[in-house]
Amino acid sequence: MTAPVPRTAQVAAVLRREAAVERAGREALVTTAPFVAAFVVLAGLAFGPAPEDLAAAAGGTVWLALLVATVPLARTVAGTEIAEDSWDLLRGLVAPGALFAGKLLAAWAALLVTGLLAGGLVAVLFQVPVPPQALYGGLLGTLALAALTTGFGVLVASGSRRRGLLAALLLPAGLPALLAGTQLSTPGVPVLPWAVLVTVYAAAVVVAAWAVFPVLLEE
Amino acid sequence: MTTRSPRSADRFLAVAAALAALAAGVLAVAVAPTDAVQGQPQRLMYVHVPAAWLAYLCFAGVLVTSIAFLVRRDLRWDRVAQAAAELGVGMTALAIALGSVWGRPVWGVWWVWDPRLVTTAVLLLVYLGYLSVRGLGDDRAAGARRAAAVGIIGFANVPVVHFSVVWWRTLHQPASVLSPDPAPMDPRMAAALGVAVLAFTLAGALVVRRRLRVLAVADTAAAPPAEGDAPTGVAAEPLVVVPRSRS
Repeated sequence: MTAPVPRTAQVAAVLRREAAVERAGREALVTTAPFVAAFVVLAGLAFGPAPEDLAAAAGGTVWLALLVATVPLARTVAGTEIAEDSWDLLRGLVAPGALFAGKLLAAWAALLVTGLLAGGLVAVLFQVPVPPQALYGGLLGTLALAALTTGFGVLVASGSRRRGLLAALLLPAGLPALLAGTQLSTPGVPVLPWAVLVTVYAAAVVVAAWAVFPVLLEE
Repeated sequence: MTTRSPRSADRFLAVAAALAALAAGVLAVAVAPTDAVQGQPQRLMYVHVPAAWLAYLCFAGVLVTSIAFLVRRDLRWDRVAQAAAELGVGMTALAIALGSVWGRPVWGVWWVWDPRLVTTAVLLLVYLGYLSVRGLGDDRAAGARRAAAVGIIGFANVPVVHFSVVWWRTLHQPASVLSPDPAPMDPRMAAALGVAVLAFTLAGALVVRRRLRVLAVADTAAAPPAEGDAPTGVAAEPLVVVPRSRS
C-alpha cells in the first residue's frame, strides 16, 4: 500500500505541471506579452498625448489590461487537460483543495507577470512614477483576479455551451480589483480605504472560490 | 390546528402589499414635504430607494440560498436563489432607470460616470451572468451547482456598490438610512420611505413565492418519471408520427 501524497506535494505537482504546460506552449510569452504591449500602446494613443491625461489614465490602463487578460487566461485553466482528456484523471488524483491551490498559484504568477509587464510599460511610456502602495494593490488585486480566473475558468470549461460567458462573468466580478488597484496606483489618493478594499475583496474572493471549487469539479 | 394554504398566504401578502403601497403613495405624495433643494423630483426616492433595497435583499437571498443549496443539495434552495436573482436583476434595472429619471432634472444629465451608478450597473451585469450560467449545460443539478458558485462569488460586489458613496467623492447622495453616519431626514419623509420599503418587500415576497411555484412545476415536468409512474404532462401526449417527406 502506498502512503497518501501530502497536500503540499500535490500543490507543487500541479504547479510544476502548469509550468511545464507553459514552457511547452509559451502561451504567456506568445499571446499575453504582445497583447499587453498592444493594449498599452493603443491606450497611450487613445488617452494621450498630453502628459497630464496620460498620468491620469496610467493606473486604469494597467488594471484594465490585467482585467481583460483574465479572460484568455481563464480559458487555459482547465483547457489543456480537457483538450488531452486528462481532466477527469487529474481531478481524480489530486485533492480539490490542492488542485485549486496549484491552479490559483499558476494563474497568480501569470497575472503578476502580466501586471509587471503592463506596469513597466506604462511607467516608461506614460512617464509616471509608481507609488509603493501600487505594489500592494498589485499583489492582492492580482491574487483576487487569479481566484476569479481559476473558479470561472473551471466553471465554464465544464459547461458545454456559452463559452463567451467568461468575459461576462469575469469583467464585472473583477470590478473591485480594478477600482482599488487603479486608486492605489494613482499618487495623492488616500491609501487606507483602497488598501482595505483590496485586502477584504481578495480574502473574500479567495475563500469563496476555494469553498465552491470542489463543487465545480463534480461534473 | 389549521394550516394556511399557499394561496391564502399569497392573498394575505397581496393585500398587505397593496395596503402598504397605498399608504406609501399617500405619505409620499400628500404628507411628506417637498425637498427644499431638489423639489418634486426628489419624490422618486420613495420608489428608487425601495427598489434598490429589494435588489440588495434579493442578492443577499441568492448568497444565503446558494450556500444552503450547496450544503443540502436540495433543488428547492436553488429555485429560491433563481427567483431571488431574477427579481434582484429586475429591481436593479428599475433602480438604475429611476435614478436616471431622477438625475435628469437634478444633475442635468441622464447618466454620469458616478461610482454608485457604475457599480450598480456592474452589479446588474454580475447577476445577469449568474442567470446565464444556468443555461451552460443540460444537466439541471450541474447548472444549479454552477449558479450557486457564481451566486456566492458574485456577492462580493454588493458591499462595494453600497459603500461606493462613502468611499468616493460622488455626485450621488450618501445613503440616508443604511449608513454608518445616516443623514438627517424629515420624519414624514422617513415614514413614507419606510412604508414604501415595506410595500416593496411584501410585493417582492409575493413575486418570489409565485415564481417558485412556476419553477417547481418546470422542475417536476423536466424530471424523469419514477419507475412505475404513469407518464404525465407533455410525456402523456400521444406520440405524433410525422410522415417522412418523399424526396
